[in-house]
Amino acid sequence: MVTTSAPDAGTAPGTRKVLSVPATAARRVRKSAQSTPGRLFVVGVGLVVLALVTGVVGALAMQQKQSTIDNLIEHREPVAAASQQIYRSLSDADATAASAFLAGGTPPAALRDRYELDIATAGANLAEASADVGGVVAAERQVNELAKQLPVYTGLVETARAYNRQGYPSGAAYLREASGLMRAKILPAAQELYRIDFERLAAEQDAAGSFPWFTLALVLVLLGALVAAQRYLLRRTNRLLNVGLVVATGAVVVGLIWGSAALLIESSRVSDGHEHGTSQVEVIVQARIVALKMRANETLTLVARGDGAEYEAEFKELTKELTGRSDENLLVRAQGLSATQETTDLLAAAQKNADDWLTAHNRVRELDDGGSYQEAVSLAISTDAKTSAATMFTMLDDNLLKALNHGRQKFVEETSGASNVMTGLVPGVALLALLAAAGVTMGIRDRLREYR
Amino acid sequence: MRAVRASLLFVLLMAAVTACAGGGRPVDLATVSSVDRPRPVGAEENPAPPSTSAAPAPACDPTASFRPQGALPPPGQMPANTTMKAIQDAGQLIAGVDQNTFLFGFRNPTTNALEGFDIDRVREIAKAIFGDPNKVQFKVVTSAGRIKALTDGEVHVVVRTMTATCERWKDINFSAIYYTAGQRILVDRTSKIANLDQLGGQKVCAAKGSTSIKTISDHAAKLIPVQVDNWSDCLIMLQQGQVAAVSTDDTILSGMVAQDPNVKMAGPRFTQEPYGIGIPKANVDMVSFVNGVLAKSIADGSWAASYDQWLGRTGEQRPAPPTPVYQD
Repeated sequence: MVTTSAPDAGTAPGTRKVLSVPATAARRVRKSAQSTPGRLFVVGVGLVVLALVTGVVGALAMQQKQSTIDNLIEHREPVAAASQQIYRSLSDADATAASAFLAGGTPPAALRDRYELDIATAGANLAEASADVGGVVAAERQVNELAKQLPVYTGLVETARAYNRQGYPSGAAYLREASGLMRAKILPAAQELYRIDFERLAAEQDAAGSFPWFTLALVLVLLGALVAAQRYLLRRTNRLLNVGLVVATGAVVVGLIWGSAALLIESSRVSDGHEHGTSQVEVIVQARIVALKMRANETLTLVARGDGAEYEAEFKELTKELTGRSDENLLVRAQGLSATQETTDLLAAAQKNADDWLTAHNRVRELDDGGSYQEAVSLAISTDAKTSAATMFTMLDDNLLKALNHGRQKFVEETSGASNVMTGLVPGVALLALLAAAGVTMGIRDRLREYR
Repeated sequence: MRAVRASLLFVLLMAAVTACAGGGRPVDLATVSSVDRPRPVGAEENPAPPSTSAAPAPACDPTASFRPQGALPPPGQMPANTTMKAIQDAGQLIAGVDQNTFLFGFRNPTTNALEGFDIDRVREIAKAIFGDPNKVQFKVVTSAGRIKALTDGEVHVVVRTMTATCERWKDINFSAIYYTAGQRILVDRTSKIANLDQLGGQKVCAAKGSTSIKTISDHAAKLIPVQVDNWSDCLIMLQQGQVAAVSTDDTILSGMVAQDPNVKMAGPRFTQEPYGIGIPKANVDMVSFVNGVLAKSIADGSWAASYDQWLGRTGEQRPAPPTPVYQD
């Protein structure tokens, strides 16, 4: 350890000189601070440094905030939307495969198209979601599981299809195995991935809406120091105004008011985007997931042909989350979060679809339990009949999708509004800090001149 | 001078450390060494043996049923105060069947209809009661759910490759035997295995609640039983290489051979599995009635025609219809 205060005898003279610079400087500052002009000089330098540091910290904080907000719109929310799309597509693929099986013979082209579109959509969204997991171990695990099991699932479904075309019952066995894989492994992973992505979105919304307290503290310290410097000058020189310091103080006050106002508006818009945007979207997504689960249970009960009591029990268990007037009903909760009449109307329409679907479902069960299996199947899967369970489910899903898109739109509007409020704040803060530093320099220099 | 020398040494040391650290390894981002294979829902390896009732079933002749009472009543005119009359009034016969066992009870994926040798037996009974073979509500039951469906009164009859045993006679009644099968094993076409002894330590599949799974669990060669809900699940586990063999009644196995020419039955029959129609314990009148229907179908050749239509395609010689045995 080399110390500056006591250079030992063996050290070269040049080295000793360099090493003793800080100590010498400190001594000089101490000495000059004992005289008024020296003290003024120290005050001036201190204020300039503080103004510049505050400017840099403030500009960086604003920059950070701006990029957090932009990241919300461009990245975080789209990823959360992608992972909910994965769940939706996979669940729909499973229900569609079961419907195609129930249809018998060569499945209708519409069902095949729907299944293929679902799988392609899930795959494309999975690619997007997996590009984003970096660092989040739990999310990575779900993406891995999905990427590993999805090809297995599609392989089983195609094997089932091949056997079905030959008229062999082992097709049904492959389909059951595929559906079991989907329900036991793939869908839980997709649901967990969505939960994680939504949590990350909410956390970043919190970060975007938070107030930069450290920067504020720094600005207040700077302001206090400027005021104190002016009081000191007033006592020493009996001059009421020092133009330079007044300009500096003015610049800091403008920065403080502008920054605080912008941040408060920004924060409220981000939280509006959360409340009426993403929070509502989350409830609607939950409702959609429940509807998809119910639909899968409805078709699987028919596939099991009398041996599917557990599917029907799960359907019954889930109905209270889509119908009924209590708070358990997700559609009621989503309506409570609506920001526009349009969304409220869509959700009311969805509620009507859900109620009609339940009526259709009860009729399907009545027919099946009463021995009219074929009629039950056609009421469950026919897309031509206006009142079939399939039609009602499709309408419900469409309305939920529309409401969900409204919610996403609301989020984007509010959050880009928040981003716009921040416009110019970064260069503005930097300029004001420079202005403050210049004001301090000028003001102190004027006073120092009087001592020459 | 000492400080300069010390810092020189330090720099050299740092350089040496950095140079050594240069020899890195290629990074593998994803290493997958094993795969989670998909399994049929409900498949269980080495299941706990079912809690057997305390008292072993009394010795009996499980093939002996109740004798038909006189000639069959004409269809649609069932005698009053009988189970058949109640079914006639309800409008349809409720039958517990299978939809996954090719040739016996299976869903035809093209037409969505249930078909097979067992299904024909159900339709004969419906025809005898209503005069219409289609007045049937089929309820699919698993092997393990057969007895419960009958004791709970969910179904009037169970026709589902069901072996009449003394154990089962305690809870339900059986009709006369309508077919006698025997347990064999099903393996890959290239396999050299010919009996259960050669399968020691390997996985063998059968349906939950069947007599076959019991035979496998009890076998001395320490097989690993794998039980599934439906017989077709066994076929796909064999196709996927998840079990070494399937072992059950040859009739069920021949349905699997018909679906996949790359599997074969091996070895001789090593059990006798007499199939009876399951009927709730209380409905003795129904048992006699069904036995009358069976006797008629054997006499008028419809049993043989049904055999030829379904089991004929396995290429095996049609056996003589079973001779009914009655308790009196």
